[in-house]
Amino acid sequence: MTAVPTVASRPDRAGEPPRPTGPRARRPIRWSYGSGRRRDARTLIAYAFLAPAFAMFLIVMLLPIGKAVQVSFYDWLPFPGADNTFVGLDNYTRALGDPQFRLSVVNAVVYMLVTVPGQIVLGLGVALLLQNRLPGRMVFRVLFYLPVVTSWVVVSLLFRYLFATDGGLVNWVLVEGLGVVDEPIGWLDSRWTAIAALCALGIWKGIGWTAIILLAGLTGVPRELHEAAAVDGASYLRRVWHVTLPALRRTLVFVSVMLVIGSFNVFISVLLMTQGGPAGQTEVPLTYTYRETFNFLEFGYGSAVAVLMTVVVLILSIGQMMLANRAERGE
Amino acid sequence: MNRVPRRRDRLVGASLAVVTALALVGCSGGDPSSTDGELTGTITFWHAYGADSKELETLREVIIPGFEAKYPGADVEDVAVPYDQLHQKMITAAAGGDLPDVMRADIIWVPEAAKLGLLERLDTAMPDFEELAAKVFPGTLETNRYQDGYYGLPLDTNTRVLMYNADALAAAGVSEPPATFDELRELADKLAGTDIYAFADNGLSGWNVLPWIWSAGGDITDENYTKATGYLNSPESVAGVTLLFDLFQKEQMPNIVLGGTGGVPTSDGLATGKYATILDGPWMYPIFEAAHPDFELQVGPVPAGPGGSVSVVGGEDIVVFRGSRNKALALEFTRYLLSDEAQLEFAKIGQMSVLRDLDVVEVNPTYGPFVEQLKTAKPRPPVPAWPKIDDLLQRRLQAAFGGEMSVQEALDAAAEEIDALLAQG
Repeated sequence: MTAVPTVASRPDRAGEPPRPTGPRARRPIRWSYGSGRRRDARTLIAYAFLAPAFAMFLIVMLLPIGKAVQVSFYDWLPFPGADNTFVGLDNYTRALGDPQFRLSVVNAVVYMLVTVPGQIVLGLGVALLLQNRLPGRMVFRVLFYLPVVTSWVVVSLLFRYLFATDGGLVNWVLVEGLGVVDEPIGWLDSRWTAIAALCALGIWKGIGWTAIILLAGLTGVPRELHEAAAVDGASYLRRVWHVTLPALRRTLVFVSVMLVIGSFNVFISVLLMTQGGPAGQTEVPLTYTYRETFNFLEFGYGSAVAVLMTVVVLILSIGQMMLANRAERGE
Repeated sequence: MNRVPRRRDRLVGASLAVVTALALVGCSGGDPSSTDGELTGTITFWHAYGADSKELETLREVIIPGFEAKYPGADVEDVAVPYDQLHQKMITAAAGGDLPDVMRADIIWVPEAAKLGLLERLDTAMPDFEELAAKVFPGTLETNRYQDGYYGLPLDTNTRVLMYNADALAAAGVSEPPATFDELRELADKLAGTDIYAFADNGLSGWNVLPWIWSAGGDITDENYTKATGYLNSPESVAGVTLLFDLFQKEQMPNIVLGGTGGVPTSDGLATGKYATILDGPWMYPIFEAAHPDFELQVGPVPAGPGGSVSVVGGEDIVVFRGSRNKALALEFTRYLLSDEAQLEFAKIGQMSVLRDLDVVEVNPTYGPFVEQLKTAKPRPPVPAWPKIDDLLQRRLQAAFGGEMSVQEALDAAAEEIDALLAQG
């Protein structure tokens, strides 16, 4: 018979209150420190693992953001020995009064209002389709996700050629393929058609991501509710509306917050597809601040615009999450 | 629990070690700079010669090896940056402290860079500056001036001339390119109703509209570059821009003038007969040869108005940065680029020389019209605020062409804003 060491027989634990034993009891490792305080080492190990990631976050994100906020209050040049004057809120009042900035915000809002619902609706449709056990389902999943992993630079240039007025594929399909239009449309030659082309690119690129996330969320929809609804005679669409969507609420909130943030950050597609043209009509806040900062050396003003956009996106995200929480609590 | 290291673990460990070693190799620093007086070491040279261009080939296979042969131990590393990004890259590098030693800068960037304190003042740093300055055209030298000093030396020069498609002109029943404003208007009238555009240009910035403003007898500022009101919005300047505006209204100028990216570029349109005329520079010859070998490029002078046939001077200057760690070698490379051998090599492939006594027409007869045009061509105002001035001029004019205001109103508004920028020096 092997001797089973009991708690009380261990010399370094003499004097301790008896701890629960048994198959389910967990024994935290305890080490004591100089001051005699005992800490849960598991917590410390957790902090140790988080430390590198947090250091990266601090250095690469928080410090530059802080610096940008500081710079936004100055008339600033990043060169050594430059004469940087403090101007207070001048950059901000200038931004709010600048018609070109206001135009860029309008463009970003329109882009958001078109691409976010577009991606959610189409992504949900794709996710619902992918739920069925089709043969070749894996292939479809990969194909739908492929646009997400492509380079923005490459696809922006590609779409620019697709939407070219003469010889672009889109116009060819519309004029010669389907015959719905008589004259080729100058997509990138005027503001709203160019924005339509940008939205098309944005939606195309994001459907796969939305679909994959919603697909994961769909696995959490209780099957019994679906079956019960079917037994009660609900059609497929009604089941989706009343059973699937409420169950997907959390996922949908997450997806829509991420998509809104992403849509305000649209940059590469605008820079490469329209270059903000024609005549600055399709400028978005990020291309506007990029141009002001790097072409005209207005670093303070550019930073002020960037800070304003950050505040806007932050307010929108918090607003969205609060609305979602309130709706959930209201059920 | 200890495990005996298996073969797979050892393999993983070995590959990690190899990968780490390879990664660290890439982190090795550059060559140490030479001491003053010895022309050895490495310098970096930034330029905007296009990838696959003849200029880049000449640079890498003739110019740089020639320099390195002359100074054994010297190494020039060239970095090709697309033109649209070079200015921003310079600014970012200045902020980050990693500017190159030498750069081929567009002439319009030099005063601004000098004002920011980035450039080495060459007239004091080079003992033979006077001799070098005497070798080049005075107009090209002036683009390097900021306040009292010269912050660069010219490398190449160019200008815009009228390029035309003879077949498109024949479709209008015209055999000669338009030589005056009136002839251009007549050409537009004759081409009305056809698919062909009489004239095409891809923007409304200084580079695009100044030839027309100057040829009409107007100007953008006074001689000392202090005031734009009274010059930019003078009746002559307005007349120059109105010529283009009328063509655009009659649909004889394509939409790309507004900067939209969906249209056909000027060079492609000219070669395919969509555009009857464009304005462009001597670098287009190799480009047309490569992209449209069947097209025979013909040129003529900029259509003359009341002010004559006046075009705009372009070109590039060589600048040396103040933070360069190997200034002696950088200055020597600058001298080399201005030497007869280097300038001749560049002249062979479309880069017109700035040397007064190098007859580029002998090198390539196609330069003839450009040399002629350069005799009367004017530079854009060499002021530090030029990039901003250029942009706001373009915006105002694009608003006018888009129908938001008249040309006169656009030029009035632009002149006022430009006055404010010029006042900042």
